[in-house]
Amino acid sequence: MIWQQLLNGLTLGSTYALIALGYTMVYGIIQLINFAHGEIYMIGAFVGLFLVVNTGLNIGVALLGAMAFCMVLGMLVELIAYRPLRGRASRLSGIISAIGVSIFLSTLMVLIAQTNTRRYPDIFNIQTFQVGDLQVSSLQVIILVVATLLMIGLQLLVQKTRVGKAMRACSQDLEAAYLMGINVNRIISFTFAIGSALAAAGGVMVGIYYNAVWPYMGTMAGLKAFAAAILGGIGSIPGAMIGGLTLGVLEILGVAFLSSSYKDAIAFGILILVLIIRPQGIMGQKITKKV
Amino acid sequence: MRFRGKAKWALLVCLVMVFSIVAGCGGNGSTSDKSKDQDVIKLGFLGATTGSVANYGIPGQKGMKMAIEEVNKNGGVLGKQLEGVYQDNKGDSTEISTITTRYITRDKVAALVGDPCTGLTKIAAKIAQENKVVIFSAGATGNGVVEIGDYVFRNTLLDKFAVPSVVDWMVNTKGWKNIAVITSLNNDYSVSLTPVFKDAIDKQGGKIVIEESINDEETDFTAQITKVKKAKPDVLVFTGYYREAALLMNEAKKQGLDINLIGGDGLYGQDLAKLGGKAVEEKVIFYCGFSFSGDESNPVSEKFLADYKAKYNEEPDMFSAQYYDAIMILAKAMKDANSTDPSVYKNELAKLKDYPGVSGNTTFRADREPIKSPICLITVKDGKLTLLDKIPLNIE
Repeated sequence: MIWQQLLNGLTLGSTYALIALGYTMVYGIIQLINFAHGEIYMIGAFVGLFLVVNTGLNIGVALLGAMAFCMVLGMLVELIAYRPLRGRASRLSGIISAIGVSIFLSTLMVLIAQTNTRRYPDIFNIQTFQVGDLQVSSLQVIILVVATLLMIGLQLLVQKTRVGKAMRACSQDLEAAYLMGINVNRIISFTFAIGSALAAAGGVMVGIYYNAVWPYMGTMAGLKAFAAAILGGIGSIPGAMIGGLTLGVLEILGVAFLSSSYKDAIAFGILILVLIIRPQGIMGQKITKKV
Repeated sequence: MRFRGKAKWALLVCLVMVFSIVAGCGGNGSTSDKSKDQDVIKLGFLGATTGSVANYGIPGQKGMKMAIEEVNKNGGVLGKQLEGVYQDNKGDSTEISTITTRYITRDKVAALVGDPCTGLTKIAAKIAQENKVVIFSAGATGNGVVEIGDYVFRNTLLDKFAVPSVVDWMVNTKGWKNIAVITSLNNDYSVSLTPVFKDAIDKQGGKIVIEESINDEETDFTAQITKVKKAKPDVLVFTGYYREAALLMNEAKKQGLDINLIGGDGLYGQDLAKLGGKAVEEKVIFYCGFSFSGDESNPVSEKFLADYKAKYNEEPDMFSAQYYDAIMILAKAMKDANSTDPSVYKNELAKLKDYPGVSGNTTFRADREPIKSPICLITVKDGKLTLLDKIPLNIE
């Protein structure tokens, strides 16, 4: 049973990881905790659902459509709610603004779609494979593969391309990057776009996997992913992946061997422990600030 | 200068908001000001139309309005028209006391109808009992409601009556003896229903092979289902609501666990079929006092379904049916007693026997607890909630 539970945990964890990446990328560059990120994930799930149900698009195309929509949405949010505050007000204003955006987006979705939970139609003929003692559903394989591909793609983008180099430069020192002729605003915008697209992919996959899409799904998922990002070391991309997977597995094992009442307690207990014992997280670097 | 401009705007917006609130209050109040107390019989609606329990209050209010219209169309009660008074209590315990007092002292209602929640009903019932006004709850299923006094009534199927019969059917008729019990820990209804089931399972000779818990609003039940599957139960008992039941069954299907799920009328919701899809088809079974479809012996329920759909263009639910019945039963008692005085007609009300309502066959026991018999077992067939079986209620 432990292997089965580990597989369950990895599937859950990879969706956390996809959301955590958005948090960590944005934080890495502008030190903003984008609390609206969970809502982007929720809207991604709804856009995917809308495309599948109303236009009859293939699920792969719907996934790309949701990612594209959220890219634009993420950039818009940054442009409207964060950019005007940047550099002018304290960092706290950015966080408050993010909370505002988060409430705005979820209530907007309540207005549009009501609070009912919806499901994706049965698009896949879900098959279950028996591997030894292990039951593997085709959906789990798809989620793990898509999540892995997206994460590899992101890693390549950041490490091997010019934009990636600019992103890394910005995260090291925003002002220096600006002085070197990097269009900082465009890079930040791009970072929001990529992070939001990953969240949307997570949203669509979670929607299909758990058969549940509703306007408040982003709140808890966002908080969990935030905990995962902290666990991995906020600002670190590989850290977000490891943090997400670890959190997913620990949560599932907690339910398996303790009780489901501890599920959220485990997630946030880890968050608190990490902040006390190793504030920089698993992969984060310790930054000594010169005062 | 720019700042000043902004400040002016802010002030203007504030003023507009304040005025709209004042205007909103005025609008609400005016309906009750035109009180011609002598010509109409007023009935006060208790329930929330906003907030977290609004999904009980909104359909309830619709059922109540429909019943009042029908009664009035057929000549009213004792030559008078019925008039509903509607205030939103937001599911809030302070709000409901204020509203209940207002209904009684200002509107001089002949009866209070509601609230769908047990806790709130008790608060209102104490006030109603003190003021000698009948309160008729169309949803409270918890303990300690009618015990408050002889002006307190309800027309719900009580879990403590229904569960023993359902478990008897499950264990002895179906032969599902090894049972997995799943509770939703952050759902009061579920937490209080689980011991009722466990008690009945013990008495009927069933065996609980595993107990698991989930939380409402969660979506990931993989770990729980994996654990349950390993315990090899014959049937799942889930005491929560339809959303989580549908998600549990989806997960069970995904893990290849082919099993039935039994629950209470918390599973009553059209979303059960919508959310559960194929995974709940003829798999989820729950008890309820009535069935809208598939029950030829109860034509009133089917007629109500059709009328409600025609009027509101949506499916009725348990609450719309129970509020509708509450009005009809109150109207009948007033007619039978030839009085709209609560202290008089309450005695007729207490004598109610085998009333064929849209929410089932209701009799008030000597202690005023409602007995709804037979109980309907409902399942999902072709995406619709359909009657599976009827079982008699056996109360010791």
